[in-house]
Amino acid sequence: MQPSSREMQGMAGSMNGGISRSSAVAQIALRELQNGHGGQQIPNSVPQASFDHGASGHDDFLDQMLSSLPSSWAELGNLKTPWDPPEAGQRLFSAGLAGESSPEEPSAAAAEGMRYPLYDESSLLANRLRQHQISGGSSPNGKGMMVHLDHQSQQQMLLPSLGRSPVASGDSGLLPLPLTLGTGGYDVDAPFKSLNPTGGEGLFNGLGGPLQRAQSAFGHPQGGASMPSQNFTAAAGAAAGGVGQAASASASASASAGGGTGPPRQKVRARRGQATDPHSIAERLRRERIADRMKALQELVPNANKTDKASMLDEIIDYVKFLQLQVKVLSMSRLGGAAAVAPLVADISSEGQGGAGSGGANSSGDSLTVTEHQVAKLMEEDMGSAMQYLQGKGLCLMPISLASAISTATACPPRPPSSSSLSSAGAGHLGHGILPGGLHPPNLTGDAPASPGVSALTAQSAMANGGAEAAKEAVTVSKA
Amino acid sequence: MEPKSCSGDGNPSRNLHPSKPLMAANFLRCLSRIQQTATNSSVGSRSRRIRRAAYASMAYSAGHRRAWSWALLRKLRCRRVRPVILPRRPRIARPQVVIEIDRAEVLRKLVPGGTGMDYCRLLEETADYIRCLATQVRLMQTVTDSISS
Repeated sequence: MQPSSREMQGMAGSMNGGISRSSAVAQIALRELQNGHGGQQIPNSVPQASFDHGASGHDDFLDQMLSSLPSSWAELGNLKTPWDPPEAGQRLFSAGLAGESSPEEPSAAAAEGMRYPLYDESSLLANRLRQHQISGGSSPNGKGMMVHLDHQSQQQMLLPSLGRSPVASGDSGLLPLPLTLGTGGYDVDAPFKSLNPTGGEGLFNGLGGPLQRAQSAFGHPQGGASMPSQNFTAAAGAAAGGVGQAASASASASASAGGGTGPPRQKVRARRGQATDPHSIAERLRRERIADRMKALQELVPNANKTDKASMLDEIIDYVKFLQLQVKVLSMSRLGGAAAVAPLVADISSEGQGGAGSGGANSSGDSLTVTEHQVAKLMEEDMGSAMQYLQGKGLCLMPISLASAISTATACPPRPPSSSSLSSAGAGHLGHGILPGGLHPPNLTGDAPASPGVSALTAQSAMANGGAEAAKEAVTVSKA
Repeated sequence: MEPKSCSGDGNPSRNLHPSKPLMAANFLRCLSRIQQTATNSSVGSRSRRIRRAAYASMAYSAGHRRAWSWALLRKLRCRRVRPVILPRRPRIARPQVVIEIDRAEVLRKLVPGGTGMDYCRLLEETADYIRCLATQVRLMQTVTDSISS
């Protein structure tokens, strides 16, 4: 294990120098590899902890990569090592990928990666590189390279906390490094070195493919488009040489992008470049105001259960048209009772002039009861005389519903029973109503004469929710 | 004579909106005037007058704070048909599909005074207009029922 450990340490050293973020994990991975290299017992703490960190975003990416590994790993045989981290990661990956890849392959790949010593992996990797390079398969090439490379990169893949960018850059960084270090005499160096620019790009192209696919598949909105591009640009730079800066840049970019484009944790930032903040804020405010108004409208309009904005607007439009039509129809229907309007309206008009002065005059009980009896007597004989009597008193008769509705005009829901009785019986119950506008009709309850046969189409516009007045509204459209 | 001038006493506080007693009083007063004056005219003109009375009383009850009532009153005050030119505010393009009917435009035509408003204000005015319309309709309905009894 000496050469492998030396190599790993060399790699770790180079990684430390090159990759800031991945260094710690790489070291941990190194240690774990060294510990578990012989015993296959890698402590689960770190990988799982890192699983927990970035499980959301990176599993799918890594899963994608790992899923395509089987083609590479097939040659290594099917060694299944009880390597917990990859299996744990595999579970996460399979959960994340929703069945895009067969779950056993990553574990197999990981296990095989565990199993084989570095030398063999490097040689295998080199061979595979040559093959893939010839065949031009970039993605398996990339992945094969990444996974074959070393356990560290593998564990980096499985440790999503690093984020995609460090993984990418780390992998790219790892790519050239181990094979160029202390592998004296290995001809893998040459192909690798030649491969590095192209292989790196192929790697990142391969990374980009699954990345974008995974992100699109899972709808990761958090700068998914930006991140791979950032990764690629960063990683391409890394492939050229500056691994450290690329890693740090991409890492920081991914972090900031992830922080800003998600639900505003730190600060609201527009996803498309630098949209000026005041504009977006104003736009958002405006949208909120519109949403509030729409909600208020929804309460008024019946059948407001539409979620769609357009259909909601349609409902509103229809309701306004309906109400206007009702006004029109009601104004036409009133002509039928023109004669009966006269005394009623005359009372009110006279009352309106003289009622303001005698505002609270008639509120006393005695006068009311006396008046009541009088009016009741008169009503038995003739409505008109009753009306005139009241008129002389400066009072008026009005239907109960109207009076009650008026008296309870302050945001109290009206009484559905009264309105429904109105619609059903068509009878105006003459009764008590007190208008604060100066009209003080007496306190009367009585059954009005039955309504004439007004054929009515009762259209119940059931506004079952509370506007200012209505819980239920019965509208009678009379076919006069 | 036009019932539109039937606003007698001043408006009480507009805390409760729509002020139903006020609307009732206004409307009934208008009706009385119609009754007194136009016994000879045709049915159609009467109905038109009544309808105008309804709108007028409603608009007056709503007061001048509302754009729709104001526009309505203005429209009613000048009897002859005259195109009302209101200053058009620049409308921000709504994210609706342009191919489809612009529902905001339709709504603007329905609600009086809605042509010069932006979308947000239009919704507000529509809500108020619907409330007043509903109140007016209910008022007229009860009056009709009381009459027909």
